[in-house]
Amino acid sequence: MAFVSSGYNPDKPMENRISDIGPKKYDEFYPPVIAKNKGTWLYHEYIQPGVYYHVAESGDKVFTVRVGGARLMSTTHIREICEIGEKHCDGYVRFTTRNNIEFMVDSEDKIRPLIEDLESRKFAGGSFKFPVGGTGAGITNIVHTQGWIHCHTPATDASGPVKATMDVLFDDFKDHRLPAHLRVSLACCLNMCGAVHCSDIAILGYHRKPPLLDHEYLDKMCEIPLAIAACPTAAIKPSKVEFDGQKVNSVAVKESRCMFCGNCYTMCPSMPLADTEGDGIVIMAGGKVSNRISAPKFSKVVVAFIPNEAPRWPKTTETIKKMVEVYANDANKYERLGEWAERIGWERFFEKCELPFTHHLIDDFRDPAYFTWRQTTQFKF
Amino acid sequence: MPSVEFMGKTFNVDEDGFIDSYDNWCQEWVQWVKKEEGIDELNDEHQKVIDVLRDYYEKNGIAPMVRVLSKVTGFKLKHIYELFPSGPGKGACKMAGLPKPTGCV
Ligand code: HEM
Ligand code: SF4
Ligand code: SF4
Repeated sequence: MAFVSSGYNPDKPMENRISDIGPKKYDEFYPPVIAKNKGTWLYHEYIQPGVYYHVAESGDKVFTVRVGGARLMSTTHIREICEIGEKHCDGYVRFTTRNNIEFMVDSEDKIRPLIEDLESRKFAGGSFKFPVGGTGAGITNIVHTQGWIHCHTPATDASGPVKATMDVLFDDFKDHRLPAHLRVSLACCLNMCGAVHCSDIAILGYHRKPPLLDHEYLDKMCEIPLAIAACPTAAIKPSKVEFDGQKVNSVAVKESRCMFCGNCYTMCPSMPLADTEGDGIVIMAGGKVSNRISAPKFSKVVVAFIPNEAPRWPKTTETIKKMVEVYANDANKYERLGEWAERIGWERFFEKCELPFTHHLIDDFRDPAYFTWRQTTQFKF
Repeated sequence: MPSVEFMGKTFNVDEDGFIDSYDNWCQEWVQWVKKEEGIDELNDEHQKVIDVLRDYYEKNGIAPMVRVLSKVTGFKLKHIYELFPSGPGKGACKMAGLPKPTGCV
């Protein structure tokens, strides 16, 4: 396509430049019933999974229908969301903190036509465009990251495993059968963009090989002290290396100290470590962010490695499904997965979920590792 | 690697226009980046920022933190942006011939 100017003048880049205007104010986009009753809500009830209403002091009600979103979506899809918003909700719509989409209407008779319309829309491949669900004691959307779509440090993909996992957990997206809500998150490297460190079940991209060293370019492309300081286990030291008959500044990696975090590559493009066979997935479990009953918890590593199996990641989804089923059958009402595992003991968690316990799961990182070992005789055989 | 011809010199650059090696930096490079960054006139203050960046990089092997750059030059961040509209990283470090900033930028 030929170049079409927006009016920006590259010869005078600071001319007519608008900056520091921030986001639009949220209340510009309130549906009228939300604007009117803001701060005066009395209570709320579920009608069915994905559908609930709030009642205000004025007696006004607002009915919300929550639908799944793939998070990564085209403008065509967003236009379709807008079209639905125009048709049923006077042009209003919102996205949730887990990237679901919520349509709101102000009277009960508008809900059924909205739900029917949403559930009738499918992609050519057969998948639902707007599946209703994601509320209450079920499994809502998976918070996830860039993967092989856009990032340069991933050890696995994001959109692919998320689609595979949500397909397996789809019934729980549309149900409230679990003891408490169950949050699943994914991050494609241990930068952990998102919520993997604090989710009931977490999928995490993991490397198993140390970085390669591109001595030819390392000193030119990298600030060597930054690469050295990037290493959590101090595996990197500066070194002079012979390259092409010349002495060049570079680094040396002590491979027995490297645990493949990839932090050095983040700081230094000449230390790549992604590897088809080496890379895969770690599963973590038992995290939460709410303060309900128990304090917030970190998730813990429960499966040290599952290979990347694009495009459906069958071993990963099977492992997650198993954990969900055991938790669903065994935990008490209101008990989050982490509370359940701590109550029955992690040794029982591994037994019940039929997960092998390997030495990889035992913390060995600095002094705090000691506090994760068992300093009591209390355990179950 | 793409290259640019400017004032009789050839520079190898990456896709973001950073020079391939600190050692290939020269005054012609400064003039090239000035044009690319849309800076009208190079003054003593621009030169001071470049000198501080190059001096710090030679001594420490890294670019200074923004607070250090401000403290040593005496220029507040706002003023550094007035000098280099793309900022201390994309603008000033590029002009000074430092490696491209890395990390979650
Ligand atoms: C039917 C009779 C008894 C009942 C129901 C009973 C119940 C209990 C209970 C509930 C505890 C607290 C356990 C815990 O929280 O960890 C306890 C601790 C204890 N009981 Fe008993 N007890 C009984 C008889 C006895 C007798 C006869 C003795 C001594 C000869 C005894 C000595 C102790 C001691 C020393 C502890 C503290 C143990 C520790 O925490 O280290 N109890 N008992
Ligand atoms: S988790 Fe890692 S690989 Fe994934 S988007 Fe974040 S930084 Fe990139
Ligand atoms: S991958 Fe991580 S542990 Fe290994 S050398 Fe790089 S920073 Fe250190």
